[in-house]
Amino acid sequence: MDHLIQLILDGLFVGSFYALVALGYSMVYGIIKLLNFAHGDIYMLGAFAGFTVLSVGAGALGGGFLALIVIMALAMVGTGAFGVVLERVAYRPLRNAPRLSVLITAVGASFALEYGIAVTFGPNPQVYPIGVSGGALGIAGARITYAQLAMMAIAVVLMVALDALVRKTRAGRAMRAISLDPKACLLMGVNVDRVISRTFFLGSALAGAAGVMAGAYYGKIDFLMGFVIGLKAFTAAVIGGIGNLRGAVLGAIVLGLLESFGVAFLGSQWRDVFAFGFLILFLTVRPTGLLGERVTERV
Amino acid sequence: MTFRRVAVAATAMVLGLGLTACGGNLSQGGSADTGKGDIKLGMLTPLTGSSAAIGPHMKDGAQLAVDEINAKGGINGRQLSLTVSDEACDPKTAAAGAAKLVSDGVAISVGGYCSSATLPTLSIFNKANIPMIIPAANSADLVAQKLPNVFLLNGTGIQQAEAASKFVKAQGSSAVALLDDNTSYSTDITKRTDQNLRQLGVTVATHQSVTAGESDYSGAVNAVLGSHADLVYWTGYYQEGGLLIKQLKAAGYQGKIMVADGSVDEKLIQIAGQDNAQGVLATMTQTPQTIPGGQEWIKKYQDKFGTAPGSYSTQAYDAVRVAAEAIKSAGYTDGQAVMKALGQINGFSIFSGPLKFTPEHTLSEGGFDILVIRGSSFALNK
Repeated sequence: MDHLIQLILDGLFVGSFYALVALGYSMVYGIIKLLNFAHGDIYMLGAFAGFTVLSVGAGALGGGFLALIVIMALAMVGTGAFGVVLERVAYRPLRNAPRLSVLITAVGASFALEYGIAVTFGPNPQVYPIGVSGGALGIAGARITYAQLAMMAIAVVLMVALDALVRKTRAGRAMRAISLDPKACLLMGVNVDRVISRTFFLGSALAGAAGVMAGAYYGKIDFLMGFVIGLKAFTAAVIGGIGNLRGAVLGAIVLGLLESFGVAFLGSQWRDVFAFGFLILFLTVRPTGLLGERVTERV
Repeated sequence: MTFRRVAVAATAMVLGLGLTACGGNLSQGGSADTGKGDIKLGMLTPLTGSSAAIGPHMKDGAQLAVDEINAKGGINGRQLSLTVSDEACDPKTAAAGAAKLVSDGVAISVGGYCSSATLPTLSIFNKANIPMIIPAANSADLVAQKLPNVFLLNGTGIQQAEAASKFVKAQGSSAVALLDDNTSYSTDITKRTDQNLRQLGVTVATHQSVTAGESDYSGAVNAVLGSHADLVYWTGYYQEGGLLIKQLKAAGYQGKIMVADGSVDEKLIQIAGQDNAQGVLATMTQTPQTIPGGQEWIKKYQDKFGTAPGSYSTQAYDAVRVAAEAIKSAGYTDGQAVMKALGQINGFSIFSGPLKFTPEHTLSEGGFDILVIRGSSFALNK
């Protein structure tokens, strides 16, 4: 079991990507009970936004870690703004419509984004002009590269910032209040629409950040890259208890670790069978997820 | 009463027509070629979806052959025309596209890229009595049903696995790691290579499958490192292949890496990073870049389309030429006659060598080369 630590590190690394995307799923679900299926594609959009900024302004920014942070900030603003527009165009007009209609506009938004990008940038994968590379660190026989450590550190900083924002600030209090009872909030004079827009901005910005990180670390982006991670992040959000932000992060780490251990014990063919088989078992025992609250029927 | 009689008569007519139509389909297969005007060739190729980049390469290759044949006066006095429909590397889209080509009245199908998407089109074309000369898709599953209309122009997994195993044996590898992406094309090659290697006495240290469309393959990379393999053979496509090479090197893997034909694309080198990709080997069907006289063909292609030929441009070009040859020797476009003529082709010259189909309708000579990455492109490994 000398590579037990390696497995844990790999799981944590993949988990931190899932977590950044899962947070957006969970926030949006928590506040307007919508499964935003286009969220994985916002992640893809973030990767392409970063790619565009890099291609246009590569000379001015130079290379290196600092450039990555600047690009990430720009991409986050871009995807955040896009998330707000998406909500305004595709979700707000249907807020009182049947739940299924909104689900379909979300699926529609997802396809529109994917193939919109395919038309704009071409169907071929694009290679990120900068990459993060460099040495690796040995921890008790396991390897982790500095790039991986940096990515995880960025993810943790973003998550802690979000947590503080939701728990400590006025805006966060409004978000939490709306997730409890939107009608009452409206009656109490909270500007519900603005808070929902803000939620979409935050969730989309985090996904965009993850997209830029994936582009810089893995080096390859394509228009379908958001699909699989979108599903995985959604799964993570459900494991953690959808609507609960700390739960989403916990769920993402659990999923990352499950995948990494599944590969080690059963071979990579069995990774998804193992991870999702476990998920089914877990949800039958605890349907509300790790940190989800028990839903009480009010008559 | 009159109205009723008319209605009855109409019903009888409709039924009667329906029956005749069915009968016609069963007995003749309903090939819609009229014997006049252009001979229509149909091509299914990915124009959207994850493999959308391949479509134009195949379409242009086929178009080049069509134009050349037409410039020489066509076949038996008739011109050729090419109809392209989207395959999207998706079985449902491909089946719909095949049905469309059948109703358009194509005489021969010269398309098929993704094996999984080509599979459901086989019986559609077969029912319509349309021969298929498949330029790219090459899973052994395609010929497993032994349909009379299916001919594979690309070397199959059988020949690729043979070429790979022989090369690995000659390299003196002690332990090999096989990696595939769980698609029928990819697992077919790894399974056959696994069998061949065991027969040749080479140890297969590990056999892993990854999920296409993801970015993190650390699980498979750890398994390779843990197995102490000195050669990795990846049989999936270039997007994942590039990432695997990059991640293997980043994790400190020192051994050789070999990829199969689905990964032979210069994007592989860009994704992996040029430094990481140096010396990566590949099993690939012969291309104009690697055969004598190929440079002229490349120039012809470039002059016409303004871009260099890509993956499967040559096979699509050959598929049209083989189709024309078969129609010419059959004398007309009837499906049965063309299929018979295809089976009798012996020594017709195509890029992979003299063409002769085996009784299973695959190439009798594989024509696989070993390529190696030098600089930013693939070159013949000498």
